[in-house]
Amino acid sequence: MKTLITCTVNGAEHTLLIDTRDTLLDLLRERLGLTGCKEGCGNGNCGTCTVLVDGAATNACLMLALEAPGRDIVTIEGVSLQGKLHPIQRALVEHGGTQCGFCTPGIVLSAKALLDNNPSPTTADVRHAIAGNICRCTGYDKIVDAIVGAAATLQAGGR
Amino acid sequence: MQSEKSGPLQVVGRRLPRVDAKERVTGGAVYPADLKLPGMVHAKLLRSPHAHARIRAIETTRAEALPGVLAVVTAADFPELPIGASVPMGETGYDMWMVAQVNMARGKVLWIGQPVAAVAALDLHIAEAALGLIEVDYETLPAVIDLAAAMAPDAPVLHEHVFTKGVEPRPRTPSNICSRTVIARGDATAALATAPATAGISVAIDTAHQGYLEPQATVAEVDANGFVTVWTSTQGQFTAELMIGRMLGLPLSRLKVCPLEVGGAFGGKIIIHGEAVAARLAQKCGRPVKMVLTREEVLQGGSGPPSAARIDIAVGADKDGRLAAIKASYHLDAGGLPGLGPSLVMQASAALYQCPNLDLQGFDVVTNKPRTEAYRAPGGIQAAFAMEQAMDALCQRLGMDALEFRKRNSSVTGGLMPIGTPFPSIGLTTILDRVGAHSCWTDALPQGRYPRGRGLAVGYWRGTSMTSAGHITIAGDGRPMVTMGAVDISGVRSTMAQVVAEEFGLPLDDIHVQTGDSKSVGYTDPAAGSRVARTSTAALVEASRDALAQLRARAAEKLQCLPDQLDYAHGAFRSRQRSGAAISLPELMQATLTDGAVVGRGVSTKLPLGVEIGAHVCDVEVDTDTGLVTVLRYTAFQDVGRALNPIAVEGQMSGSVVQGIGWALMEGFDYGPDGRLRNASLLDYRMPTALDVPPIECVIIETPVPGVAYGVRGVGEVPIVPPAAAIANAIARAIGVRMRHMPMTPERVLRALNA
Repeated sequence: MKTLITCTVNGAEHTLLIDTRDTLLDLLRERLGLTGCKEGCGNGNCGTCTVLVDGAATNACLMLALEAPGRDIVTIEGVSLQGKLHPIQRALVEHGGTQCGFCTPGIVLSAKALLDNNPSPTTADVRHAIAGNICRCTGYDKIVDAIVGAAATLQAGGR
Repeated sequence: MQSEKSGPLQVVGRRLPRVDAKERVTGGAVYPADLKLPGMVHAKLLRSPHAHARIRAIETTRAEALPGVLAVVTAADFPELPIGASVPMGETGYDMWMVAQVNMARGKVLWIGQPVAAVAALDLHIAEAALGLIEVDYETLPAVIDLAAAMAPDAPVLHEHVFTKGVEPRPRTPSNICSRTVIARGDATAALATAPATAGISVAIDTAHQGYLEPQATVAEVDANGFVTVWTSTQGQFTAELMIGRMLGLPLSRLKVCPLEVGGAFGGKIIIHGEAVAARLAQKCGRPVKMVLTREEVLQGGSGPPSAARIDIAVGADKDGRLAAIKASYHLDAGGLPGLGPSLVMQASAALYQCPNLDLQGFDVVTNKPRTEAYRAPGGIQAAFAMEQAMDALCQRLGMDALEFRKRNSSVTGGLMPIGTPFPSIGLTTILDRVGAHSCWTDALPQGRYPRGRGLAVGYWRGTSMTSAGHITIAGDGRPMVTMGAVDISGVRSTMAQVVAEEFGLPLDDIHVQTGDSKSVGYTDPAAGSRVARTSTAALVEASRDALAQLRARAAEKLQCLPDQLDYAHGAFRSRQRSGAAISLPELMQATLTDGAVVGRGVSTKLPLGVEIGAHVCDVEVDTDTGLVTVLRYTAFQDVGRALNPIAVEGQMSGSVVQGIGWALMEGFDYGPDGRLRNASLLDYRMPTALDVPPIECVIIETPVPGVAYGVRGVGEVPIVPPAAAIANAIARAIGVRMRHMPMTPERVLRALNA
């Protein structure tokens, strides 16, 4: 069944005819071309599809596209604006916190959800915040270091 | 070829961010599932519900008639390849009959999840509905799911053409034991019988998975002239091209494979999984076809997992702790088709010990499960789990320090490998000395609520070299543009940018590196076997020097002097005779742009081995109420020859260790008696999260390999070898119990405690 919805993604409003079976991930990737969010499992177990829904890190594969209207949705494409990297992204680059890169967009958004609410997290806080994002390449240390580093940059007023 | 440079290294060896990191953190990196071509349609595979069955007939008419279905294919749409038809890949090659079976079953299915048909349709919903309309008439056969069942004398035989190799006289009846491999010297049985101290262990290791986060994905397109282009996530575009070409019966000049970003592979993306099927569907329906596997498909039969194994080891030493004998048997579960063979596993397990008497026997056994494939030092972790526990038990029997025991028996440069050839330069004794001086070994183990223990294990992986090629075109502004054949799965674009920057004496930002498709760069073997950074370094050093030699000739002409009267440094040639006579690369290229291209070429074919050795120390706490093992501290020591970029080396080491910890403690395939994988999701097949592992301390040791550019060794594989053994040894020292089954889940730890 098809239905018409209006949703806000990265600040822009979209009106689309969707298949009611589509997930938010299908909507973002297939309809809006926002392919930065990835499908690693389709079951909410790996975190590669993490986006922010009203500020909360959310698995886009577990939400129906039908639920998108009225929510503020931010994808990785909405994190760096005008080509300027967010401090979390910059720290991941500098610390070597991205290897194959498939988990990276989800990690960035989980980290953003954390730092937006807790500006000075401990490494334990960081590990909890990204526990829903599996990374198979890095062993996590450089990701954790990067997020802690980004928090310090943001605290110091860095952008 | 003469080097253009001298003096200390400027770019190689520095901690630099990856050149491709920005596109990864912004979501801009393109993986095949992200591609969208005009008119593109979607493919799904129908997979076998039976572990062993004959295919009597496949009826596709109803599926083809479903509106929106554009094409259906089965094995009948592909040429039948003879058993043993091979495509080159390193020393062994790949049996194309097997590759074809993995991609599309013919005549028989050998595991649950093996593809039997495929559909291309306007959307995935239609494709899925069409799969339900394909009727396959199966005659089910008795299946063998584990090693013991497969080796039973009356076991149902999977392959009528498989007779055990390596047995004299040649067997008269087919068998599920595909081969027997023997590595022996001296008389291990006699030496064990008289050794003052002996120890032994028998272990079983469950199948695990590479666990790459990106499921296999491919897009195939056929142009109006029938030329096929395949975009895919692969470790090797040339190997993929050979395999696709053979499966389709297509000449290689009619086919191109474009490797896109790879979202993890670890051995699971060497052979093709769906590329040829997508291409055949595209040929049939005349539209681009995309095929993306689901996670369940990936786990259940998408790519092969590494081997399950049963390993039995006995070791003996004299009263001073000198090793007298190693006797071991290795049974590797290959899955539904003959496997990689046990030779490398056997070598890996015994390589680090100088031992006069060896008796190693390995068996490659087929079962009705997905055909196994490589996973990071394939077989290494299984072998070390057994061997390093046996050695640790022997230390305990001798009352000897585990590190001292390794030092006393360690292999050294020039010593004999298990196969009898001398070791090239190795730094094992240096590594062991570094372990002994490190706080991870000298600090007292802090007390905890539950018993704690410290474990040591060493690991070896031989790695490989094979062929890598690349070329460097000098852009009109004088900057080197590098095209290499190596697919980037480990940051090799970045390390190769560093190498070329070093060779040219230019800043890193001046170098552009890309991986070429299979028609734009020289043949290069897959990114596997810890070979790519080493061999690409050699190839690109050669290409850099070739390009610089061509530039030197042009510069000499411009400056009116002989080529050998010029010095080159930092992007400029200067005359030694006439001060002030100089020309920079940008000036030179602007002045000679219309003289034709400057293209430096390089290829590395037979680089000496850069064997990888590591030693790991870990502290664990064992919750004796629940059986949960917590890794408290983990330190990995490794000789990397030279770290081209220490950040990249640490990333490889930590990631590899964490994969090892995952298999050691939580990752294992759970097959039912019918051969069905019962944990085919990432909820039930648990990989380590950030909460499951401690920080991994990486200690990089650099013993350069002689005769190899920059002395680089392989890095990525060996750190997965010791973790399970180091943890098992720590558990044994914590609770006095040897773990014989991996993964060492809480349930198994509790059972071992209560046994």
